[in-house]
Amino acid sequence: MSRILLVEDEKNQRELYAAELRDDGYEVEEASDGKMAVEKVKSNKYDLVVLDIRMPEMDGIEALGKILSRDKKIPIVIHTAYSNYKSNFMTWTADAYVTKSSNLDELKTKIAEILAARGQA
Amino acid sequence: MLIKKILLNLSLYIPDVALILFLTEEGVFVPEERSHFVVVLVYFLIKISLHNIVAFFCFIKPYSAVKDILLQFQRGRYSMADSAHVLKPSACFGDLFELLRSTGRYLDNLVGSQNDEIEKFRELYNNVILSANSYFVVLNARDEVIFANKSFSANFRYTDDEILGLRLEDIFYIIPGRFSDAIDNVKKRGQSAVLRKIKLISRRKISLIADIKISRVTVQGEKQYIIVMDDITSQWRKDYQISLISQISESLQRDEEVERILYAILTAVTSGSGLGFNRAMLFLYNEQKKILTGKMAVGPDSMEEAVQIWGSVQNEELNLLGGGPDAPPVLQTNGAFYKQVVTSNFAINGNTLFADVFNKRAPVHIYDAASDPRVDPETRKFMDVSEFVVVPLCSANKALGVVVADNKFNGAPIYEDHVELLSIFAVQASLSIDSYNSLSSVKERMEHIQAKQEAIVESEKMAAVGRIAAHIAHEIRNPLVTVGGYARRILQSVKKPQKTVEDIEKAASIILHESERLEKILSNVMDFSRPSPLIREYNNLNDVVKDTYYLLKNVLQERKITATLDLEQKLPLVKSDFNQLKQVVLNLLQNAMDATPAGGSVILKTGLTETHIYIRIKDSGTGISPEAMDKIFDPFFTSKITGVGLGLAVVKKIVNDHNGEIVISNNPEGGCQFSVELLRPS
Ligand SMILES: Nc1ncnc2c1ncn2[C@@H]1O[C@H](COP(=O)(O)OP(=O)(O)OP(=O)(O)O)[C@@H](O)[C@H]1O
Ligand SMILES: [Mg+2]
Repeated sequence: MSRILLVEDEKNQRELYAAELRDDGYEVEEASDGKMAVEKVKSNKYDLVVLDIRMPEMDGIEALGKILSRDKKIPIVIHTAYSNYKSNFMTWTADAYVTKSSNLDELKTKIAEILAARGQA
Repeated sequence: MLIKKILLNLSLYIPDVALILFLTEEGVFVPEERSHFVVVLVYFLIKISLHNIVAFFCFIKPYSAVKDILLQFQRGRYSMADSAHVLKPSACFGDLFELLRSTGRYLDNLVGSQNDEIEKFRELYNNVILSANSYFVVLNARDEVIFANKSFSANFRYTDDEILGLRLEDIFYIIPGRFSDAIDNVKKRGQSAVLRKIKLISRRKISLIADIKISRVTVQGEKQYIIVMDDITSQWRKDYQISLISQISESLQRDEEVERILYAILTAVTSGSGLGFNRAMLFLYNEQKKILTGKMAVGPDSMEEAVQIWGSVQNEELNLLGGGPDAPPVLQTNGAFYKQVVTSNFAINGNTLFADVFNKRAPVHIYDAASDPRVDPETRKFMDVSEFVVVPLCSANKALGVVVADNKFNGAPIYEDHVELLSIFAVQASLSIDSYNSLSSVKERMEHIQAKQEAIVESEKMAAVGRIAAHIAHEIRNPLVTVGGYARRILQSVKKPQKTVEDIEKAASIILHESERLEKILSNVMDFSRPSPLIREYNNLNDVVKDTYYLLKNVLQERKITATLDLEQKLPLVKSDFNQLKQVVLNLLQNAMDATPAGGSVILKTGLTETHIYIRIKDSGTGISPEAMDKIFDPFFTSKITGVGLGLAVVKKIVNDHNGEIVISNNPEGGCQFSVELLRPS
C-alpha cells in the first residue's frame, strides 16, 4: 500500500482529499503547511507528496525545494487553486500539476500514473 | 407721653398729699399758719430735689448708656469700643449693660462671619463674571451699559469706567440685523436668545465672530439685559481658511484666467473673514526692464470702505469665483490705492526691500517699519504702515514677483500662521502665473500627455481587471472546490450504504460554511472595485505609515524581519487621499518584505527636503537589477511565483495622481529604497 503525504492548509479540503484517497486504498498522512511537510519528509518515507502552493509559514514552492533537496526522487504533485501557475512555476521540478477541482478524478489519475510508472501501484 | 410722665411723677406725691390732708384734719397742720406752710414747702422742695438726684444717678445715666447702645445696634454696629457712655458692672443696671454689650459682641461675630461669606461669594462671582473668557455686558432698560467684565472692556479697548453708559451702537460699527432683532425680541418677550456666528466690528477696530446669548433679568424692579459673547473668531477662521485654500486650488484646476485668479487670491487674502489682511498687493517681475511692477491691489482706500468690505463678506460661504450673488465686488481699478500700486516700480538691483525678498526668495515680516534697518526709505513711504509682510512668488525654477500684505486700517497684529497661509497663497498664485505664461506650450503638451495617459489608464484598468480576476479566481476556487467535493461525497453516500448520517451532516455543514465564505469574498471584491475618492483631505503622512505598518506588523514578525519607524515629527499636512496613500505604502512594504530574507530589516522613514515631503521604504533585500529596473512599473511584470505584477503599477498611478514622484535606488550595502516624494506645502 502506497503512502501519500497530503500537504494542504485548508482543513475542510484536507479532510476531503484524505478521505477520498483513503477510500481509494492509499495510506494518507496529513500536513497543514510547508514546514510540517518538510519535517515529516525528514523522518518518514513516503511514496508521493501532494503539495498545495499558498500556505502560511512556508509556502509550497519553498517546501518543494526543501523536500527535493532531501530526496531528489520523491514524486511530487502540485495541487493548487491557481490556474495560471503553469507558465510561472518551476515546471521542471514537480512531477505533475493539478488545478484544484471538486472532481478529484484528475488528481487521482495523476497519482495512479506516477505510482504505476515507479512500479509501486 | 409728656402728660403721662408728669402724672406718673406726680403720683409719687400722693402719699404726701394724703398725709398733709390727714394732718390738716387732725389740726396739726394749719395751712393759714405761715410757718406751717413754709415747713411743708421746704419738705416738698427737699423731696423733689432728692428724688431728682437719686433718679439721675440711678436711672438717667444707665438709661442713656443703654439708649446709646441700642442706637448703635440700630446703625448695624455691634461692638461697643467707641460707645460714649460706660457703666461699671457695679453701677445701677450695670449687669443689664454688660448683658447688652455681650449681646452686641455676639451679634458682631455673627455679622462678621456672614460678611466673610458674602466676600467669598463676591470673589467667586467676580472670577466668573469679570474675568471669564466670554465677553459679558449688562444693559439697562435704556440700552446703556451698566456693567462689563474685564474681557469685554479689554478686548474692545475701553477702560472699565469709559464703557459705562455707552450704548451698543457706540461700541460697534455695525450691529448685524440678526443681533439687533434678537435684542428687540428679548425685550418684548423676555425669552433668552442664542445667536451663532455673529460678525461684529467695533468702532475701535476690533473685529470678531461670536456666538451670542442674550437674556433678560429683573433687578430691583428694573429690567436689565445680559449679553454674553463667546469669541469663536480663530476657530472659525481656521475652518474658513482651509475651505478657502481648497476652493482656490480647485478653481486653479479649472480656470486659466490668470487675472481673475490673482484677484480672487488677493480678495481671499484681504476679506475680513479670510486671511483678514486689510490690504494686499501684487508685484510681478518685468524681465526686460529688470523691475518689479505693481500689477494688482486689493484693499480699501479708507476705514469706511474697509467696513463696507467687511459687510460684504457677512455671508458664510464666500463663493470666490462663482459669480453668484455672493461673489466679491468686481475689481475696482479706480481706487486711490489701486492706482498707487499699479504705478509703482521697484528695480530688482536697487536696495529696496521688495527687491531683496524677490532676490532671496524668502518671506520677510516687518514689525516696525520706522526702525527696521531692512526697510528702505522708499518702501517706508510707499507702505506708510509699521507692520507688514512681503512674500515671494516663485515657481519651481524662477522668481516671479512678490505679494505684500498689511493691516493698515485696524492695526491688528500679523500672526505667524497668517504669514504661513499667505505663503501658501503665493505658491498657488505662482502656479497660476506659471501656467499662464506657458499656456500655449502647456496646452500642446497637455493634449499629448492626455492621449498617453488615456492609454495608460486604459491599460491599467485592464491590468486592474486582470489582477482582480486572478485574485478572485484563487480566492473563489478554494471554497468552490470544497463545496463541490463534499457535495460529491453526499451523492456517493446514497450509493454506498456504509456512509452514515453523521458523514452527510458534516459534509452539509461544511458546504454551508464554505458558501458563507464565498459570499464574504464577493462583498470584499465589491469594496475593492469601488471608485477611489477625490484627493481633498489634508493628511499626516506619519499616520499613513503607522496605519500600514500596524497592518503588516504580525507578518513582519512572522517572517523575522525587523521593521523600524523613523518618523519626522514636524511634518506639514499634505493634500492627499488617505486610503490611496495607505495602498502605496502597503504595496511597497509588501514588496520590501518579499525581497528581504529572514533576519533582514526594513526601515520606514518620513521627512522633508527643501521642496518635498517624503516616505521612504528601505529594505536589506535582493535589490533590483538594471534590466529589471526598466520594467518593474509595467503592469504584470513580476519575478514572483504568486505575484501578479500590479503592485508597483498601482503605486505609480496613485503617486502620479498626487503630483508626486517615485525615486528608486539600490543601497551600496545591499537591498533597495523606494522614496515617494510629494510636493511640500510651503
Ligand atoms: N523592494 C524590492 N526589492 C527587489 N525587487 C523588487 C522590490 N520591489 C519590487 N521589486 C521587483 O518589482 C517587481 C514588480 O513589483 P510589483 O509590486 O509591481 O509586483 P509583484 O510584487 O511581483 O506582484 P503584486 O502585484 O502582487 O504586488 C517584483 O516582482 C520584483 O521583482
Ligand atoms: Mg508587489
